[in-house]
Amino acid sequence: MAEFLAPLRGLFEYVNELPTSIQIRESQYFSPYLTVSHVVVMAIVAGLVLMMDLRLMGLANMRTPFTELQRRLFPWQMFGMTLAGITGLTLTYSDPMRFYINIFFWMKMLMLVLAALNAMAFHYTTYYSVASWDSSQAPPLGAKLSGAISVVLWTMIILAGRLIPYNWFA
Amino acid sequence: MLEPFFRWLGDFEASKVIGESLWIYPTIQAFHLVFLAILAGALLIVDLRLLGKGMIRQSVEQVARDAMPWLLIGLVGMVTTGVPQLMSNWSRQYHSEFFWQKMYFLTAALIFTFTVRHFMTRQHTVGGTTAGQKIAGLVSIFLWGGVVVSGRLIGLFT
Repeated sequence: MAEFLAPLRGLFEYVNELPTSIQIRESQYFSPYLTVSHVVVMAIVAGLVLMMDLRLMGLANMRTPFTELQRRLFPWQMFGMTLAGITGLTLTYSDPMRFYINIFFWMKMLMLVLAALNAMAFHYTTYYSVASWDSSQAPPLGAKLSGAISVVLWTMIILAGRLIPYNWFA
Repeated sequence: MLEPFFRWLGDFEASKVIGESLWIYPTIQAFHLVFLAILAGALLIVDLRLLGKGMIRQSVEQVARDAMPWLLIGLVGMVTTGVPQLMSNWSRQYHSEFFWQKMYFLTAALIFTFTVRHFMTRQHTVGGTTAGQKIAGLVSIFLWGGVVVSGRLIGLFT
């Protein structure tokens, strides 16, 4: 694995030896049910994020003002994100070395960071002028771009996440 | 009873190509989840509205009509990426109790979505929703949740 991850290796190895990590790893049902829960909450988070992205791109929910959609969906997105974080972190905690050597895992982490940066960039630029395009049928280029980048990133997050079990490049 | 049909699906040249390739099956599986997210978004935005949550300033009907194209895109994508998995891996699916559980949930969810739930979203409700609409939202979440949970369990237990 790439050298810049090397400093993390110690942490992953440390967690790998913790009794609770071993317990979850060796339990027959805990991991599968965590995986199932992670997929369910993924559908909630990604689904509601995509609905917002499509609105930004001018492709869906066009009769709802953007701020209304954003304000009403945000709590549910955060609710899902919290559960996705808890289930995802527990999965990583239960078998850290499996994820440490997995290229898809690190791709997914990178895409998650980029998705957060994209959301922040949108918030501090195009969102300032939202009053002028809130109900417009043709959102400005900046909004369309943020939405499209988010769709691509979330698609890659889902694809990379599902491909983790197939570690083709190990 | 349906085994000959499953066997017939598996006998296609395409089924064998998918099964023998190292990457086609996983890729189809991964895109199945992307379409799941689209479908889930289009369902949830309406189910939340039926529950009297989410975008309550818009009428239930408007939210549902706007979400419908994406619900259909999600469904078509799910079937398009689901059938090849069945073709190349029919034996495992056929013998998996979770596969059948998923099919029962799916049948119920589809019927419910295009009958009762559809009717409940055609009532001109602005603001709060009726008890019937709330129940429809809950039933929809339960049935589609059942599809997702049993679908993911197929790959984890046989």
